[in-house]
Amino acid sequence: MSGFLENVQGSLVALYESLQASALLMFTDPIQLPLDQAVLVGASALFVGAVLWTVCGGQRRNKVKLRKEFTPGKVYVHGPTPVKAIPNLTPFGMKLETYLRMADISYEPMYQMSFSGPKGKIPWIEYNGEALGDSGLILEFLNREKGVDLNQSLSDADKAVSRAFTKMVEENTYWGLIQERWIDNYDKIHELIELPWIFLFLRRSAAKDKFRQMMRAHGIGRHSKGELVGIIEKDLKAISSFLGTKPYLMGDEPTEVDAAVFGQLSEIVWTAPDSYLHRIVTVDCPNLLAYCNRIKDRYWPDWDQLTGNDA
Amino acid sequence: MSEFLGNTQGALAALYEILQTSVLQLFADPTQLSPNQSVVVAAPAMFVGAVLWTFWSGQRRTKVKLRAEFTPGKVYYHAPPPLKVIPCHTPFGMKLETYLRMADIPYETMYSWRMGPKGKIPWIEYNGEAMGDSGLIIEFLNREKGVDLNQSLSEADKAVSRAFTKMGEENTYWGGVRNRWIDNLDQMQELMEVSWIGMLLLRSLRVKRRRNLWAHGMGRHSKDEIEGIVEKDVKAISTFLGTKPYLMGDEPTEADAAVFGQLSEVCCAFPGSYMERLVTVEYPNLQAYFNRMKDRYWPDWGELTKTSVPLSVIEVLSSQYL
Repeated sequence: MSGFLENVQGSLVALYESLQASALLMFTDPIQLPLDQAVLVGASALFVGAVLWTVCGGQRRNKVKLRKEFTPGKVYVHGPTPVKAIPNLTPFGMKLETYLRMADISYEPMYQMSFSGPKGKIPWIEYNGEALGDSGLILEFLNREKGVDLNQSLSDADKAVSRAFTKMVEENTYWGLIQERWIDNYDKIHELIELPWIFLFLRRSAAKDKFRQMMRAHGIGRHSKGELVGIIEKDLKAISSFLGTKPYLMGDEPTEVDAAVFGQLSEIVWTAPDSYLHRIVTVDCPNLLAYCNRIKDRYWPDWDQLTGNDA
Repeated sequence: MSEFLGNTQGALAALYEILQTSVLQLFADPTQLSPNQSVVVAAPAMFVGAVLWTFWSGQRRTKVKLRAEFTPGKVYYHAPPPLKVIPCHTPFGMKLETYLRMADIPYETMYSWRMGPKGKIPWIEYNGEAMGDSGLIIEFLNREKGVDLNQSLSEADKAVSRAFTKMGEENTYWGGVRNRWIDNLDQMQELMEVSWIGMLLLRSLRVKRRRNLWAHGMGRHSKDEIEGIVEKDVKAISTFLGTKPYLMGDEPTEADAAVFGQLSEVCCAFPGSYMERLVTVEYPNLQAYFNRMKDRYWPDWGELTKTSVPLSVIEVLSSQYL
């Protein structure tokens, strides 16, 4: 034991002396720096840099690969490849595409499976050579750019209610889907995503942990399963109560919030069968299922084509 | 350099030998294990245990220290002590306490910086059990005490009420986190009456906040984008409130506790910020609404804020890391 301790002490002293000498030499006469000392100083600097970079985890913008050529004014939507279950695997992708269809903005889908948007998330768009992330910010941008206003028939109070429901479904209810898809049913996800089973199996712990940590950081991951189910159920029942017998959330015609709500609910209806989420949306609150089908029929006539179900 | 390498090699060799003999001894005759050897075996075991424990960070319930004795049916409300500017620096504490006052549920306040069973504040003790999350606590107390602050609302209104609560707590709230912990951390020094040691501690906690912001999603936006998002949320609350005295009408309901919780921080705990400007200049009906709720449910606001105590570094440290 004392042999080990002495050796550690010796190492640390030697390291300190070495660093001290190297640093002095670096400042006085760098050319004279011997190779091993330079390596030591360089390695220490890199290590400190790496620690700082990890710790300052904040505003890192993801480096994205853009198209070499683009048509000005054209929207290129980056998202996951359609699967048999649904044209877009992320609720925010379903929301964005539904919005584009509602707003009659033509777009070119660029399918890829990686999370490569500028904010590290999908979907994202390319527009006039720039990458834009976050479906909400993209919608606001395109509204301004293309002169679109799906909410023009709404009063200011209704626009406020509209925003509140959007935020509830995207910042709260969404995590119920994440828990169901990525944590509780991870072993079935290869069927949904249509990737080889082994691919996802190898990433099993890392993927589940990543989502668990995200949910814990958000806060909602600190609840028990029963508590989470209760929370999500209340969200869905609130949407159902507010929708009532109306064809769309805010009235007779669809508005922006319908893109957001349909985005989340469509994933529940078509990618999460056998879940409590599915039961709530189809059995307990059948007006939600009817609402989803209504929007699907109106804005996604090519659903079967995209998902390969028309073969 | 070679001295360093030589010594390191010697150290690793010595460590391996000790581990080898200790483990052999452990299996052969543990009673004969010398103190040194036990340390050498126990330390790596503890290290491995700590790493595993960190990874299984999912459903870890924080171990809370409960009262030795309690009165059955009494709510013991745990929250951090008041600041000079506000009775509670977390909007969920303002929300929960406002709800208790709205529902006329008597409670005993236990000020401390310790975290609750879900690793967050505020939390309550009730009949010897610890409960976390203001929303779940309110649902529990509604059932337990037969309270329903929403009884006058239609089903559709209850839905709208929930939507606004969730928007304020799951979206706007994070704009406040970003402002307080990232953009204006230095303001905390005055707000929480901390020494420079306390500021070091707060800076270390900032790392966790950044990670939480990133995981939530809000932290991926630029400062301007976040301000835009918060402004739209605040505008929505203001527009929906309109000229009504309370969010859902003439009388306060549960959503008012939640919205007041978030707004009170905006009005009082972010002096000089764009958030303060939003509620005082751009949407002054929110400032009036805040004052209305404060006058009605917090007549002791001034008294409480006078009892502010400086941040206790030791309590926060022991609560965050032990």
